[in-house]
Amino acid sequence: MTVDLTQFHDAFFEESFEALDAMEAALLKLDIGAPDPELINTIFRVAHSIKGGSATFGFTEIASFTHSLETLLDELRSGTMRVTDQVSDTLLKSIDVMRAMLRAVQAKQPIDAQRVSDLQFDLEVIIATKNAPPPATAPAPTAASPAPPPRWQVRFRPFRELMARGNDPLRMLRELHELGEVRTQIDAQNLPPLADIEPQDCHLAWTLELPGEIAEEAIRQVFDWAEGDCDLAIERLGDAPAAAPTPEPTEPVVETLAAEPPAAAPTAAESAPAASVPAPAAAPRSESAAKAESGPGAPSDSGSIRVSVDKIDELMNTVGELVITQAMLSQLGGQFEGPQAEQLRAGLGQLERNMRELQESVMRVRMLPISFVFSRFPRMVRDLAHRLGKQIELKLTGEQTELDKTVLEKIGDPLVHLVRNCIDHGIEPPEKRIAARKPAAGTVHLDAAHRGGNIAVEVSDDGGGLDKERILAKARSRGLIGANDTLSDAEIYELIFLPGFSTAEKTTDVSGRGVGMDVVRRNVKSLGGKIEVNSESGRGSRFTITLPLTLAIVDGQSVAVGSETYIVPLISIVESMQLKDGNVSRLSGKGEVFSFRGDYLPIIRLHELFGIAPRTHELHEGLVVVAEGDGCRAGLFVDDLLGQQQVVIKSLETNYGHIEGISGATILGDGSVSLILDVPGLIRVASMRVAA
Amino acid sequence: MNLRPRTKPARSPKRGRQAAVAAAPRGKSKRRNHLVLKAECTLADAGELKSALCALLPQDGTVTLDGTAVERIDTAALQLLAAFVRDRRLAGAALQWQSASPAVHSAARLLGMETMLALNEAAS
Repeated sequence: MTVDLTQFHDAFFEESFEALDAMEAALLKLDIGAPDPELINTIFRVAHSIKGGSATFGFTEIASFTHSLETLLDELRSGTMRVTDQVSDTLLKSIDVMRAMLRAVQAKQPIDAQRVSDLQFDLEVIIATKNAPPPATAPAPTAASPAPPPRWQVRFRPFRELMARGNDPLRMLRELHELGEVRTQIDAQNLPPLADIEPQDCHLAWTLELPGEIAEEAIRQVFDWAEGDCDLAIERLGDAPAAAPTPEPTEPVVETLAAEPPAAAPTAAESAPAASVPAPAAAPRSESAAKAESGPGAPSDSGSIRVSVDKIDELMNTVGELVITQAMLSQLGGQFEGPQAEQLRAGLGQLERNMRELQESVMRVRMLPISFVFSRFPRMVRDLAHRLGKQIELKLTGEQTELDKTVLEKIGDPLVHLVRNCIDHGIEPPEKRIAARKPAAGTVHLDAAHRGGNIAVEVSDDGGGLDKERILAKARSRGLIGANDTLSDAEIYELIFLPGFSTAEKTTDVSGRGVGMDVVRRNVKSLGGKIEVNSESGRGSRFTITLPLTLAIVDGQSVAVGSETYIVPLISIVESMQLKDGNVSRLSGKGEVFSFRGDYLPIIRLHELFGIAPRTHELHEGLVVVAEGDGCRAGLFVDDLLGQQQVVIKSLETNYGHIEGISGATILGDGSVSLILDVPGLIRVASMRVAA
Repeated sequence: MNLRPRTKPARSPKRGRQAAVAAAPRGKSKRRNHLVLKAECTLADAGELKSALCALLPQDGTVTLDGTAVERIDTAALQLLAAFVRDRRLAGAALQWQSASPAVHSAARLLGMETMLALNEAAS
């Protein structure tokens, strides 16, 4: 499975710039001497994620630089180095450099290698020299007595969901006890009244002190499982085991700071952090002001803004109305005579072009490639496969298919359910697959495509397929169907969408609680779509979600049938032609066909289908529009072709109801309503009629 | 006028509460102010424990916790007990441990919760 990573570059840049802003803000808040471990953690995480991202995308310079930065931050985080003015300065410079690098990579320009390597050198010098002196010795170097055995201070603040994820702080503390004697101080300040406690939430936090002989790594290992579910700060206490677990360094800080801003009295402990802010902040600001290209306040950093969807909807609606007005004007303009008519028509032509551009731009604002949803699957599939001991290959196609943002957001969860189901129920374990002469690795395929004015998203697998017998047995045992009911395959597959229906032998945390499929169906229906199941025993199953493009504007060919005008989406038209008598033959029971490039295609007389009196019944007097949909072709018999135009689709479903063969309606320039044909649906309807 | 409607419905929920308390401690003790902790006091049954404790919270007199039977207890259960003890004390109500098993003592010690739980007074 290969994924084109370039499509994620923009998101990476945007996130990285935002993250750098956050990092800068955190750095500026950092107190020299008494840094808040949480802030250092924030900064570290930013550096870490940028490093990871740039390595993934192959931006080696950024990754390498961030690595050095991360090393320094790790030292700070573990307390082996102190945050000094110099360190803070260098870190801020690093942010500037990283911004510049990201910007250069984004613009596909060379990175200022000299600047990068200079700073990287600085970073490495700082790391190498390790400004390790414990803070206590700084103000009074003469008093530096051989320190009593240093101790570790571990601040362990579980996130609320730690226990729900299967971690028990008790187990971790017990493991710590096995390492050595632990002094435990519990913080129950955030423990709510009993009645408000959700039993699975953790509201407690601990400050622990351990003997200094224990390796830091050993302590970290205890918390390995809780990584990401808690805040963990491990610091080396320079002093003898303090009676109170409050960090000792607070006192010296006040003193060192007092030396800088002369006004601050050493007693004003609270004013110290505040006073320290301007000092580090001032330095980077003046520096970046000198470099015009990287002003920290420049909002141009991120190339996008967030706009509420409502605003875009409003815009979209207005544009839709404008299109109709413009079409009306164009039609009117054609009727004018006289010396200025030509000018008017030229102006109208210009208007039409601009209108088209405007429409397209507005449409594009709302449309996002489905890869935004698909991109979450590789990781999910990998993790799931790992957990279930299955080998799964994920295939993604049609990721560039664009669809409306609102649809995109709502399609994510149903897809997750489907993919989980495929992996959990569909794909068999490797042994079973090999026994069935299938490759050990199962394939899950996600595909998206525009299909006849709809978006079709398919989730398919090459697993065992739906087990009809089991579904039937289950449905019978649940009393959903009678014992003697015989159901068609389609009806059996329909059963899996019933609430509370699951055939999984045992409930796993992956799927099988029977909440999945009915939710999937409900979500899809709420988008005005439908979901279909196809399955073949031993070969796999395929779920197809079809969603309407409710908000689309289509390029349409307007055709006349009797007194009515219909719109055929241009995308489904192969060509239009006039038939000669000899081309047409009648097949008994199958209607009329005509030969088209060596094929015989059915003729669909639209006037018959819609019950309209046509101008002509003779095929050679009208025209045939060869249209294609869902892989089927047919000739649509119409009276005349009128013209091509862009039309705004007004959903029939929301305003009226679903009609097979019609994908929507539009308002024409003269104010009349015209139906937009859904070619695949039309072919289905017509073939059913012929068969009947 | 005011009293009647208040006392009457109050009675039936009370009976319900007693049932909850009784259900948690394996139905051994029917005493209102007494809670016998189960052998397994873990997250899995923490919901049950919580409702039992909530029912005990407003009880008058001294509430007794019996932790003799506890074989396994986790942070979730201890957290609830700690909140219970604290809330009870904040309300100025009395509470005592009848006894607590070594499992309870050791877990509370590891978590630094002995004082919070008022376990020091309990005999093991």
